[in-house]
Amino acid sequence: MPMTRLPESQRRAIVRTAVTLAVFAIALFVYTFWRGMSK
Amino acid sequence: MSTAHHDEHPTGIMRWLTTTNHKDIGTLYLVFALIMFFVGGAMALVIRTELFQPGLQIVDPNFFNQMTTLHALVMIFGGVMPAFTGFANWQIPLMVGAPDMALPRLNNWSFWLLPFAFILLLSSLFVPGGGPAGGWTLYPPLSVQGSMGTDFTILAIHMMGISSVLGAINVIATILNMRAPGMTLLKMPLFVWTWLITAFLLLAAMPVLAGAVTMLLTDRHFGTHFFNAAGGGDPVMFQHVFWFFGHPEVYILILPAFGIASQIIPTFSRKPLFGYESMVYATASIAFLSFIVWAHHMFTVGMPLAGELFFMYATMMIAVPTGVKVFNWAATMWKGSLTFETPMLFAIAFVMLFTIGGFSGLMLAIAPADFQYHDTYFVVAHFHYVLVSGAVFAILAGAYYWLPKWTGHMYNETLGKWHFWLSVIGFNLTFFPQHFLGLAGMPRRIPDYAIQFTEFNQWSTVGSYLFGFSQLLFVAIVIQTARGGKKAEAKAWEGAEGLEWTVPSPAPYHTFATPPRIK
Repeated sequence: MPMTRLPESQRRAIVRTAVTLAVFAIALFVYTFWRGMSK
Repeated sequence: MSTAHHDEHPTGIMRWLTTTNHKDIGTLYLVFALIMFFVGGAMALVIRTELFQPGLQIVDPNFFNQMTTLHALVMIFGGVMPAFTGFANWQIPLMVGAPDMALPRLNNWSFWLLPFAFILLLSSLFVPGGGPAGGWTLYPPLSVQGSMGTDFTILAIHMMGISSVLGAINVIATILNMRAPGMTLLKMPLFVWTWLITAFLLLAAMPVLAGAVTMLLTDRHFGTHFFNAAGGGDPVMFQHVFWFFGHPEVYILILPAFGIASQIIPTFSRKPLFGYESMVYATASIAFLSFIVWAHHMFTVGMPLAGELFFMYATMMIAVPTGVKVFNWAATMWKGSLTFETPMLFAIAFVMLFTIGGFSGLMLAIAPADFQYHDTYFVVAHFHYVLVSGAVFAILAGAYYWLPKWTGHMYNETLGKWHFWLSVIGFNLTFFPQHFLGLAGMPRRIPDYAIQFTEFNQWSTVGSYLFGFSQLLFVAIVIQTARGGKKAEAKAWEGAEGLEWTVPSPAPYHTFATPPRIK
Protein backbone atom coordinates (compact mmCIF):
# COMPACT_ATOMS: atom_id res chain seq x y z
CA MET A 1 0.00 0.00 0.00
CA PRO A 2 1.79 3.15 -1.11
CA MET A 3 2.10 5.89 1.45
CA THR A 4 1.42 9.53 0.78
CA ARG A 5 4.02 10.62 -1.77
CA LEU A 6 6.79 12.76 -0.32
CA PRO A 7 7.37 16.21 -1.84
CA GLU A 8 9.66 16.09 -4.88
CA SER A 9 12.35 18.21 -3.19
CA GLN A 10 12.47 15.80 -0.26
CA ARG A 11 12.70 12.79 -2.60
CA ARG A 12 15.61 14.42 -4.43
CA ALA A 13 17.36 15.19 -1.14
CA ILE A 14 17.03 11.57 -0.04
CA VAL A 15 18.47 10.25 -3.30
CA ARG A 16 21.30 12.81 -3.15
CA THR A 17 22.20 11.73 0.39
CA ALA A 18 22.03 8.03 -0.47
CA VAL A 19 24.12 8.31 -3.63
CA THR A 20 26.77 10.43 -1.90
CA LEU A 21 27.09 7.90 0.91
CA ALA A 22 27.16 4.94 -1.48
CA VAL A 23 29.93 6.57 -3.54
CA PHE A 24 31.90 7.16 -0.32
CA ALA A 25 31.51 3.50 0.73
CA ILE A 26 32.57 2.15 -2.67
CA ALA A 27 35.52 4.55 -2.80
CA LEU A 28 36.66 3.40 0.64
CA PHE A 29 36.50 -0.26 -0.43
CA VAL A 30 38.53 0.49 -3.58
CA TYR A 31 41.02 2.58 -1.59
CA THR A 32 41.56 -0.22 0.95
CA PHE A 33 42.20 -2.70 -1.84
CA TRP A 34 44.46 -0.26 -3.71
CA ARG A 35 46.49 0.46 -0.55
CA GLY A 36 46.95 -3.28 -0.11
CA MET A 37 48.29 -3.54 -3.66
CA SER A 38 50.65 -0.59 -3.37
CA LYS A 39 52.16 -1.75 -0.05
CA MET B 1 -7.26 7.74 2.86
CA SER B 2 -8.64 6.02 5.92
CA THR B 3 -6.39 4.35 8.44
CA ALA B 4 -8.00 0.98 7.67
CA HIS B 5 -7.13 1.36 3.99
CA HIS B 6 -3.55 2.19 4.99
CA ASP B 7 -3.37 -1.00 7.02
CA GLU B 8 -3.93 -3.20 3.95
CA HIS B 9 -0.98 -5.38 3.11
CA PRO B 10 -0.36 -8.88 1.71
CA THR B 11 -0.86 -11.67 4.21
CA GLY B 12 1.12 -14.77 5.05
CA ILE B 13 4.69 -15.22 3.88
CA MET B 14 4.31 -12.61 1.10
CA ARG B 15 3.76 -9.91 3.71
CA TRP B 16 7.18 -10.58 5.16
CA LEU B 17 9.01 -11.20 1.89
CA THR B 18 7.73 -8.11 0.11
CA THR B 19 7.23 -5.67 2.96
CA THR B 20 8.62 -2.18 2.76
CA ASN B 21 7.08 -1.15 6.08
CA HIS B 22 9.61 -0.09 8.71
CA LYS B 23 7.69 -1.81 11.51
CA ASP B 24 7.50 -5.13 9.65
CA ILE B 25 11.18 -4.94 8.73
CA GLY B 26 12.04 -4.00 12.32
CA THR B 27 10.17 -7.07 13.52
CA LEU B 28 11.98 -9.24 10.96
CA TYR B 29 15.35 -7.96 12.16
CA LEU B 30 14.44 -8.53 15.82
CA VAL B 31 13.15 -12.07 15.26
CA PHE B 32 16.20 -12.91 13.15
CA ALA B 33 18.50 -11.56 15.86
CA LEU B 34 16.71 -13.58 18.53
CA ILE B 35 17.15 -16.79 16.51
CA MET B 36 20.82 -15.98 15.96
CA PHE B 37 21.32 -15.31 19.69
CA PHE B 38 20.15 -18.86 20.34
CA VAL B 39 22.32 -20.32 17.56
CA GLY B 40 25.36 -18.45 18.87
CA GLY B 41 24.35 -19.30 22.43
CA ALA B 42 24.24 -23.01 21.61
CA MET B 43 27.80 -22.69 20.29
CA ALA B 44 28.81 -20.93 23.51
CA LEU B 45 27.40 -23.83 25.53
CA VAL B 46 29.43 -26.30 23.45
CA ILE B 47 32.52 -24.24 24.32
CA ARG B 48 31.65 -24.03 28.02
CA THR B 49 30.74 -27.73 28.22
CA GLU B 50 34.13 -28.72 26.80
CA LEU B 51 35.82 -26.38 29.28
CA PHE B 52 33.96 -27.74 32.32
CA GLN B 53 36.99 -29.87 33.09
CA PRO B 54 40.55 -30.13 31.79
CA GLY B 55 41.28 -32.66 29.05
CA LEU B 56 39.46 -33.29 25.79
CA GLN B 57 36.06 -34.91 26.31
CA ILE B 58 33.13 -33.56 24.28
CA VAL B 59 34.36 -32.22 20.91
CA ASP B 60 37.57 -32.48 18.91
CA PRO B 61 39.87 -29.44 19.02
CA ASN B 62 39.26 -28.42 15.40
CA PHE B 63 35.50 -28.35 15.98
CA PHE B 64 36.10 -26.40 19.21
CA ASN B 65 37.98 -23.78 17.17
CA GLN B 66 35.10 -23.63 14.69
CA MET B 67 32.73 -23.03 17.60
CA THR B 68 34.78 -20.12 19.01
CA THR B 69 35.04 -18.57 15.53
CA LEU B 70 31.40 -18.99 14.56
CA HIS B 71 30.08 -18.06 18.02
CA ALA B 72 31.72 -14.65 17.62
CA LEU B 73 30.67 -14.10 14.00
CA VAL B 74 27.07 -15.18 14.69
CA MET B 75 26.72 -13.08 17.85
CA ILE B 76 28.29 -9.94 16.39
CA PHE B 77 26.91 -9.93 12.84
CA GLY B 78 23.80 -12.05 13.38
CA GLY B 79 22.75 -11.13 16.92
CA VAL B 80 23.77 -7.72 18.19
CA MET B 81 23.95 -5.76 14.91
CA PRO B 82 20.58 -6.96 13.50
CA ALA B 83 18.95 -6.45 16.92
CA PHE B 84 20.02 -2.81 16.98
CA THR B 85 18.99 -2.42 13.33
CA GLY B 86 15.58 -3.83 14.32
CA PHE B 87 15.31 -1.16 17.01
CA ALA B 88 16.41 1.46 14.47
CA ASN B 89 13.74 0.38 11.98
CA TRP B 90 10.97 0.36 14.52
CA GLN B 91 11.94 3.43 16.49
CA ILE B 92 13.74 5.98 14.31
CA PRO B 93 10.73 6.85 12.09
CA LEU B 94 8.48 6.89 15.18
CA MET B 95 10.93 9.07 17.09
CA VAL B 96 11.56 11.64 14.35
CA GLY B 97 7.93 11.75 13.18
CA ALA B 98 8.58 10.19 9.73
CA PRO B 99 6.09 7.97 7.87
CA ASP B 100 8.74 5.32 7.14
CA MET B 101 12.44 4.92 6.43
CA ALA B 102 13.71 7.08 3.57
CA LEU B 103 14.41 4.13 1.25
CA PRO B 104 11.86 1.43 2.03
CA ARG B 105 12.64 -0.99 -0.82
CA LEU B 106 16.35 -0.84 -0.01
CA ASN B 107 15.34 -1.55 3.57
CA ASN B 108 13.67 -4.80 2.49
CA TRP B 109 16.80 -5.86 0.59
CA SER B 110 19.07 -4.97 3.54
CA PHE B 111 17.16 -7.39 5.71
CA TRP B 112 16.70 -10.24 3.23
CA LEU B 113 20.43 -10.37 2.49
CA LEU B 114 21.00 -11.47 6.08
CA PRO B 115 19.25 -14.87 6.24
CA PHE B 116 21.10 -15.95 3.08
CA ALA B 117 24.41 -14.68 4.47
CA PHE B 118 23.94 -16.74 7.60
CA ILE B 119 22.77 -19.84 5.76
CA LEU B 120 26.03 -19.56 3.81
CA LEU B 121 28.09 -18.98 6.96
CA LEU B 122 26.53 -21.81 8.98
CA SER B 123 26.54 -24.26 6.08
CA SER B 124 30.34 -24.00 6.19
CA LEU B 125 30.12 -26.42 9.13
CA PHE B 126 29.06 -29.15 6.70
CA VAL B 127 31.71 -28.76 3.98
CA PRO B 128 34.93 -30.81 3.91
CA GLY B 129 37.26 -29.43 6.57
CA GLY B 130 34.39 -27.75 8.40
CA GLY B 131 33.78 -24.11 9.16
CA PRO B 132 36.27 -21.29 9.74
CA ALA B 133 38.49 -22.13 12.70
CA GLY B 134 41.05 -19.34 12.81
CA GLY B 135 39.09 -17.00 15.10
CA TRP B 136 36.58 -14.32 14.06
CA THR B 137 39.49 -11.98 13.28
CA LEU B 138 40.43 -14.25 10.35
CA TYR B 139 44.15 -13.60 10.77
CA PRO B 140 46.41 -14.97 8.06
CA PRO B 141 48.21 -17.33 7.67
CA LEU B 142 45.53 -19.53 9.32
CA SER B 143 42.71 -18.02 7.28
CA VAL B 144 44.68 -18.39 4.04
CA GLN B 145 45.32 -22.05 4.81
CA GLY B 146 41.81 -22.81 6.12
CA SER B 147 39.20 -25.07 4.52
CA MET B 148 36.66 -23.93 1.92
CA GLY B 149 34.54 -22.99 4.96
CA THR B 150 36.70 -19.84 5.04
CA ASP B 151 35.51 -18.95 1.51
CA PHE B 152 31.92 -19.35 2.65
CA THR B 153 32.74 -17.03 5.54
CA ILE B 154 34.33 -14.40 3.30
CA LEU B 155 31.33 -14.34 0.96
CA ALA B 156 28.95 -14.26 3.93
CA ILE B 157 30.87 -11.29 5.34
CA HIS B 158 30.52 -9.53 1.99
CA MET B 159 26.76 -10.03 2.09
CA MET B 160 26.50 -8.86 5.71
CA GLY B 161 28.68 -5.87 4.82
CA ILE B 162 26.44 -4.86 1.90
CA SER B 163 23.41 -5.25 4.19
CA SER B 164 25.02 -3.09 6.88
CA VAL B 165 26.15 -0.36 4.49
CA LEU B 166 22.73 -0.17 2.83
CA GLY B 167 21.12 -0.08 6.28
CA ALA B 168 23.47 2.70 7.36
CA ILE B 169 22.70 4.74 4.23
CA ASN B 170 19.00 4.33 4.96
CA VAL B 171 19.36 5.44 8.58
CA ILE B 172 21.40 8.52 7.64
CA ALA B 173 19.06 9.46 4.77
CA THR B 174 16.06 9.08 7.10
CA ILE B 175 17.49 11.13 9.95
CA LEU B 176 18.88 13.90 7.74
CA ASN B 177 15.88 14.22 5.42
CA MET B 178 12.75 12.91 7.15
CA ARG B 179 12.61 14.66 10.53
CA ALA B 180 9.31 16.31 11.41
CA PRO B 181 9.22 20.10 10.95
CA GLY B 182 10.75 21.78 13.97
CA MET B 183 12.83 18.80 15.05
CA THR B 184 16.30 20.28 14.83
CA LEU B 185 19.29 17.97 15.24
CA LEU B 186 19.70 18.94 18.87
CA LYS B 187 16.05 18.14 19.60
CA MET B 188 16.41 14.54 18.42
CA PRO B 189 16.08 11.77 21.01
CA LEU B 190 19.45 10.35 22.10
CA PHE B 191 18.67 6.97 20.54
CA VAL B 192 18.37 8.67 17.14
CA TRP B 193 21.61 10.56 17.70
CA THR B 194 23.55 7.46 18.68
CA TRP B 195 22.21 5.62 15.62
CA LEU B 196 23.13 8.50 13.30
CA ILE B 197 26.71 8.34 14.55
CA THR B 198 26.69 4.53 14.43
CA ALA B 199 25.56 4.65 10.81
CA PHE B 200 28.54 6.84 9.91
CA LEU B 201 30.82 4.38 11.71
CA LEU B 202 29.30 1.51 9.70
CA LEU B 203 29.79 3.40 6.50
CA ALA B 204 33.45 4.09 7.25
CA ALA B 205 34.28 0.66 8.71
CA MET B 206 32.46 -2.02 6.73
CA PRO B 207 34.03 -1.24 3.32
CA VAL B 208 37.46 -1.61 4.95
CA LEU B 209 36.52 -5.08 6.22
CA ALA B 210 35.22 -5.90 2.75
CA GLY B 211 38.58 -4.81 1.31
CA ALA B 212 40.51 -6.92 3.84
CA VAL B 213 38.53 -10.12 3.24
CA THR B 214 38.64 -9.58 -0.54
CA MET B 215 42.44 -9.52 -0.29
CA LEU B 216 42.23 -12.74 1.74
CA LEU B 217 40.08 -14.29 -0.98
CA THR B 218 42.54 -13.34 -3.74
CA ASP B 219 45.43 -14.65 -1.62
CA ARG B 220 43.59 -17.94 -1.26
CA HIS B 221 42.60 -18.44 -4.89
CA PHE B 222 44.11 -15.96 -7.31
CA GLY B 223 47.84 -16.13 -6.58
CA THR B 224 48.21 -12.78 -4.83
CA HIS B 225 50.49 -12.38 -1.80
CA PHE B 226 48.98 -9.50 0.16
CA PHE B 227 49.51 -11.32 3.44
CA ASN B 228 52.02 -14.00 2.49
CA ALA B 229 55.50 -13.13 3.76
CA ALA B 230 57.10 -15.72 1.45
CA GLY B 231 55.66 -13.84 -1.53
CA GLY B 232 56.66 -10.38 -0.28
CA GLY B 233 53.40 -9.74 1.57
CA ASP B 234 52.84 -8.89 5.20
CA PRO B 235 50.47 -10.78 7.54
CA VAL B 236 50.64 -7.89 10.02
CA MET B 237 49.11 -5.60 7.41
CA PHE B 238 45.94 -7.70 7.64
CA GLN B 239 45.84 -7.08 11.37
CA HIS B 240 46.11 -3.32 10.82
CA VAL B 241 43.40 -3.28 8.15
CA PHE B 242 41.16 -5.65 10.12
CA TRP B 243 41.36 -3.63 13.33
CA PHE B 244 40.84 -0.36 11.47
CA PHE B 245 37.42 -1.91 10.90
CA GLY B 246 37.35 -3.90 14.14
CA HIS B 247 37.65 -1.14 16.68
CA PRO B 248 34.93 1.11 15.22
CA GLU B 249 32.90 -2.12 15.06
CA VAL B 250 33.12 -2.31 18.85
CA TYR B 251 31.44 1.10 19.02
CA ILE B 252 28.92 0.11 16.35
CA LEU B 253 27.92 -2.58 18.84
CA ILE B 254 27.72 -0.26 21.85
CA LEU B 255 26.64 3.25 20.75
CA PRO B 256 22.99 2.24 20.10
CA ALA B 257 23.08 0.64 23.57
CA PHE B 258 24.07 4.04 24.98
CA GLY B 259 21.09 5.47 23.12
CA ILE B 260 18.65 2.94 24.58
CA ALA B 261 19.94 3.54 28.12
CA SER B 262 19.58 7.28 27.52
CA GLN B 263 15.89 6.79 26.67
CA ILE B 264 15.05 4.43 29.53
CA ILE B 265 16.86 6.00 32.49
CA PRO B 266 15.08 9.41 32.22
CA THR B 267 11.69 7.66 31.84
CA PHE B 268 12.00 5.69 35.08
CA SER B 269 13.75 8.57 36.90
CA ARG B 270 10.92 10.89 35.80
CA LYS B 271 13.49 13.54 34.95
CA PRO B 272 14.93 14.81 31.67
CA LEU B 273 18.26 13.33 30.65
CA PHE B 274 21.07 15.16 32.45
CA GLY B 275 23.51 16.83 30.04
CA TYR B 276 21.80 16.07 26.71
CA GLU B 277 24.25 18.07 24.61
CA SER B 278 27.27 16.65 26.39
CA MET B 279 25.88 13.17 25.63
CA VAL B 280 25.77 14.04 21.92
CA TYR B 281 29.30 15.44 21.91
CA ALA B 282 30.59 12.51 23.99
CA THR B 283 29.10 10.05 21.48
CA ALA B 284 30.69 11.92 18.58
CA SER B 285 34.05 12.03 20.43
CA ILE B 286 33.94 8.30 21.07
CA ALA B 287 33.19 7.73 17.38
CA PHE B 288 36.15 9.89 16.32
CA LEU B 289 38.54 8.26 18.80
CA SER B 290 37.41 4.79 17.68
CA PHE B 291 39.27 5.35 14.38
CA ILE B 292 42.64 6.18 15.94
CA VAL B 293 43.07 3.40 18.50
CA TRP B 294 42.99 0.22 16.39
CA ALA B 295 46.51 -0.99 17.08
CA HIS B 296 45.81 -1.45 20.81
CA HIS B 297 44.55 -4.87 19.69
CA MET B 298 48.06 -5.72 18.48
CA PHE B 299 50.45 -4.32 21.09
CA THR B 300 52.30 -7.65 21.17
CA VAL B 301 52.84 -7.82 17.40
CA GLY B 302 55.94 -5.66 17.57
CA MET B 303 55.47 -1.95 17.00
CA PRO B 304 57.82 1.01 17.41
CA LEU B 305 57.70 2.50 20.92
CA ALA B 306 56.10 5.70 19.60
CA GLY B 307 53.28 3.60 18.13
CA GLU B 308 52.71 1.74 21.38
CA LEU B 309 52.58 5.04 23.27
CA PHE B 310 50.27 6.75 20.78
CA PHE B 311 47.76 3.91 20.74
CA MET B 312 47.96 3.51 24.53
CA TYR B 313 47.23 7.17 25.30
CA ALA B 314 44.62 7.53 22.53
CA THR B 315 42.80 4.50 23.96
CA MET B 316 42.89 5.91 27.47
CA MET B 317 41.33 9.12 26.18
CA ILE B 318 38.15 7.20 25.31
CA ALA B 319 37.54 6.89 29.04
CA VAL B 320 36.85 10.66 29.17
CA PRO B 321 33.72 10.86 26.96
CA THR B 322 32.61 7.46 28.27
CA GLY B 323 32.93 8.81 31.80
CA VAL B 324 30.84 11.83 30.80
CA LYS B 325 28.08 9.43 29.78
CA VAL B 326 28.23 7.29 32.91
CA PHE B 327 28.15 10.36 35.17
CA ASN B 328 25.26 11.82 33.13
CA TRP B 329 23.22 8.64 33.62
CA ALA B 330 23.99 8.70 37.34
CA ALA B 331 23.09 12.40 37.54
CA THR B 332 19.81 11.70 35.72
CA MET B 333 18.89 9.20 38.42
CA TRP B 334 20.05 11.51 41.21
CA LYS B 335 17.04 12.70 43.21
CA GLY B 336 14.68 11.28 40.57
CA SER B 337 11.38 9.56 41.39
CA LEU B 338 12.88 6.19 40.59
CA THR B 339 10.92 3.02 39.93
CA PHE B 340 12.51 -0.27 39.00
CA GLU B 341 10.51 -1.93 36.25
CA THR B 342 12.36 -4.51 34.16
CA PRO B 343 13.66 -2.06 31.49
CA MET B 344 15.11 0.16 34.24
CA LEU B 345 16.68 -2.83 36.00
CA PHE B 346 18.40 -3.90 32.79
CA ALA B 347 19.44 -0.29 32.09
CA ILE B 348 21.00 0.13 35.55
CA ALA B 349 22.74 -3.24 35.24
CA PHE B 350 23.96 -2.07 31.85
CA VAL B 351 25.51 1.08 33.32
CA MET B 352 27.21 -0.73 36.21
CA LEU B 353 28.43 -3.83 34.38
CA PHE B 354 29.43 -2.01 31.20
CA THR B 355 31.54 0.25 33.42
CA ILE B 356 33.34 -2.83 34.77
CA GLY B 357 34.04 -3.80 31.15
CA GLY B 358 35.28 -0.26 30.56
CA PHE B 359 37.67 -0.46 33.51
CA SER B 360 39.13 -3.78 32.37
CA GLY B 361 39.46 -2.14 28.96
CA LEU B 362 41.56 0.58 30.54
CA MET B 363 43.76 -2.10 32.11
CA LEU B 364 44.19 -3.68 28.67
CA ALA B 365 45.00 -0.27 27.18
CA ILE B 366 48.20 -0.09 29.24
CA ALA B 367 50.67 -1.45 26.68
CA PRO B 368 53.18 -3.02 29.11
CA ALA B 369 50.38 -4.68 31.10
CA ASP B 370 48.75 -5.88 27.87
CA PHE B 371 51.86 -7.93 27.15
CA GLN B 372 50.69 -10.18 29.99
CA TYR B 373 46.92 -9.97 29.40
CA HIS B 374 47.00 -10.37 25.61
CA ASP B 375 45.12 -13.45 24.31
CA THR B 376 44.19 -14.59 27.83
CA TYR B 377 40.77 -15.14 29.36
CA PHE B 378 41.07 -11.64 30.85
CA VAL B 379 40.35 -10.31 27.36
CA VAL B 380 37.41 -12.74 27.02
CA ALA B 381 35.99 -11.50 30.35
CA HIS B 382 36.52 -7.87 29.31
CA PHE B 383 34.71 -7.99 25.99
CA HIS B 384 31.85 -10.09 27.32
CA TYR B 385 31.26 -7.45 30.01
CA VAL B 386 31.13 -4.90 27.20
CA LEU B 387 29.10 -6.94 24.73
CA VAL B 388 26.78 -9.02 26.93
CA SER B 389 26.12 -6.85 29.95
CA GLY B 390 26.64 -3.85 27.65
CA ALA B 391 25.04 -4.46 24.28
CA VAL B 392 22.80 -7.47 25.05
CA PHE B 393 21.46 -6.08 28.34
CA ALA B 394 20.62 -2.82 26.54
CA ILE B 395 18.84 -4.82 23.83
CA LEU B 396 16.81 -6.62 26.51
CA ALA B 397 16.11 -3.31 28.28
CA GLY B 398 14.93 -1.78 25.01
CA ALA B 399 12.79 -4.81 24.17
CA TYR B 400 10.94 -4.60 27.51
CA TYR B 401 10.68 -0.82 27.19
CA TRP B 402 9.12 -0.79 23.71
CA LEU B 403 7.25 -4.14 23.77
CA PRO B 404 4.05 -2.35 24.90
CA LYS B 405 4.35 0.01 21.90
CA TRP B 406 5.04 -2.86 19.48
CA THR B 407 2.46 -5.36 20.72
CA GLY B 408 -0.15 -3.19 22.45
CA HIS B 409 0.19 -5.25 25.63
CA MET B 410 2.13 -4.91 28.87
CA TYR B 411 4.50 -7.79 29.55
CA ASN B 412 4.33 -9.78 32.79
CA GLU B 413 6.41 -7.72 35.23
CA THR B 414 7.01 -10.58 37.67
CA LEU B 415 8.38 -12.82 34.93
CA GLY B 416 10.42 -9.89 33.62
CA LYS B 417 12.07 -9.44 37.01
CA TRP B 418 12.77 -13.18 37.22
CA HIS B 419 14.41 -12.96 33.80
CA PHE B 420 16.48 -9.99 34.94
CA TRP B 421 17.81 -11.53 38.13
CA LEU B 422 18.56 -14.92 36.55
CA SER B 423 20.38 -13.13 33.72
CA VAL B 424 22.43 -10.91 36.03
CA ILE B 425 23.44 -13.77 38.31
CA GLY B 426 24.11 -16.16 35.42
CA PHE B 427 26.10 -13.58 33.51
CA ASN B 428 28.36 -12.61 36.42
CA LEU B 429 28.88 -16.23 37.41
CA THR B 430 29.98 -16.95 33.85
CA PHE B 431 32.29 -14.06 33.18
CA PHE B 432 33.63 -12.67 36.46
CA PRO B 433 35.78 -15.77 37.19
CA GLN B 434 37.27 -15.43 33.70
CA HIS B 435 39.12 -12.30 34.87
CA PHE B 436 40.98 -14.42 37.41
CA LEU B 437 41.62 -17.18 34.87
CA GLY B 438 43.16 -14.65 32.50
CA LEU B 439 45.29 -12.99 35.15
CA ALA B 440 46.54 -16.46 36.15
CA GLY B 441 47.58 -17.05 32.54
CA MET B 442 44.87 -19.19 30.93
CA PRO B 443 45.00 -18.56 27.15
CA ARG B 444 41.82 -17.97 25.14
CA ARG B 445 40.65 -20.20 22.25
CA ILE B 446 41.91 -23.49 23.74
CA PRO B 447 39.84 -26.67 24.29
CA ASP B 448 42.05 -27.91 27.15
CA TYR B 449 43.79 -26.21 30.06
CA ALA B 450 46.15 -26.74 32.97
CA ILE B 451 44.54 -28.36 36.00
CA GLN B 452 44.87 -25.31 38.29
CA PHE B 453 42.28 -23.47 36.18
CA THR B 454 39.57 -26.10 36.80
CA GLU B 455 37.50 -24.52 39.59
CA PHE B 456 36.93 -21.11 38.00
CA ASN B 457 36.10 -22.83 34.70
CA GLN B 458 33.49 -24.95 36.44
CA TRP B 459 31.87 -21.85 37.98
CA SER B 460 31.91 -20.26 34.56
CA THR B 461 30.25 -23.24 32.87
CA VAL B 462 27.52 -23.48 35.52
CA GLY B 463 26.87 -19.74 35.09
CA SER B 464 26.70 -20.07 31.31
CA TYR B 465 23.97 -22.73 31.55
CA LEU B 466 22.02 -20.55 34.00
CA PHE B 467 22.39 -17.50 31.76
CA GLY B 468 21.65 -19.37 28.52
CA PHE B 469 18.55 -21.22 29.69
CA SER B 470 17.10 -18.19 31.47
CA GLN B 471 16.88 -16.54 28.03
CA LEU B 472 14.12 -19.04 27.18
CA LEU B 473 12.08 -17.16 29.77
CA PHE B 474 12.52 -14.02 27.64
CA VAL B 475 11.15 -15.84 24.60
CA ALA B 476 8.16 -17.01 26.66
CA ILE B 477 7.53 -13.46 27.89
CA VAL B 478 7.70 -12.00 24.37
CA ILE B 479 5.30 -14.63 22.97
CA GLN B 480 2.93 -14.14 25.91
CA THR B 481 3.00 -10.35 25.44
CA ALA B 482 2.45 -10.56 21.69
CA ARG B 483 -0.58 -12.83 22.21
CA GLY B 484 -2.36 -10.83 24.89
CA GLY B 485 -2.22 -9.33 28.34
CA LYS B 486 -3.06 -6.02 29.92
CA LYS B 487 -3.71 -3.38 27.26
CA ALA B 488 -0.96 -0.83 26.92
CA GLU B 489 -1.85 2.84 26.74
CA ALA B 490 -0.38 5.11 24.05
CA LYS B 491 2.01 6.39 26.69
CA ALA B 492 2.87 3.05 28.26
CA TRP B 493 5.22 4.49 30.89
CA GLU B 494 4.31 7.39 33.16
CA GLY B 495 7.59 9.23 32.68
CA ALA B 496 8.06 8.51 28.96
CA GLU B 497 8.64 11.44 26.62
CA GLY B 498 8.86 11.49 22.83
CA LEU B 499 6.84 11.18 19.65
CA GLU B 500 6.59 7.37 19.75
CA TRP B 501 4.37 7.67 22.83
CA THR B 502 1.91 9.97 21.04
CA VAL B 503 0.71 7.21 18.68
CA PRO B 504 -1.58 4.39 19.90
CA SER B 505 -0.27 1.08 21.23
CA PRO B 506 0.23 -1.07 19.24
CA ALA B 507 1.56 1.48 16.77
CA PRO B 508 -0.69 1.45 13.65
CA TYR B 509 0.77 -0.03 10.47
CA HIS B 510 1.35 3.49 9.13
CA THR B 511 2.14 6.41 11.40
CA PHE B 512 2.88 10.09 10.85
CA ALA B 513 1.52 10.14 7.28
CA THR B 514 1.14 13.83 8.12
CA PRO B 515 4.26 14.95 9.95
CA PRO B 516 3.74 16.29 13.47
CA ARG B 517 5.01 19.79 14.24
CA ILE B 518 7.65 20.04 16.96
CA LYS B 519 7.68 23.16 19.13
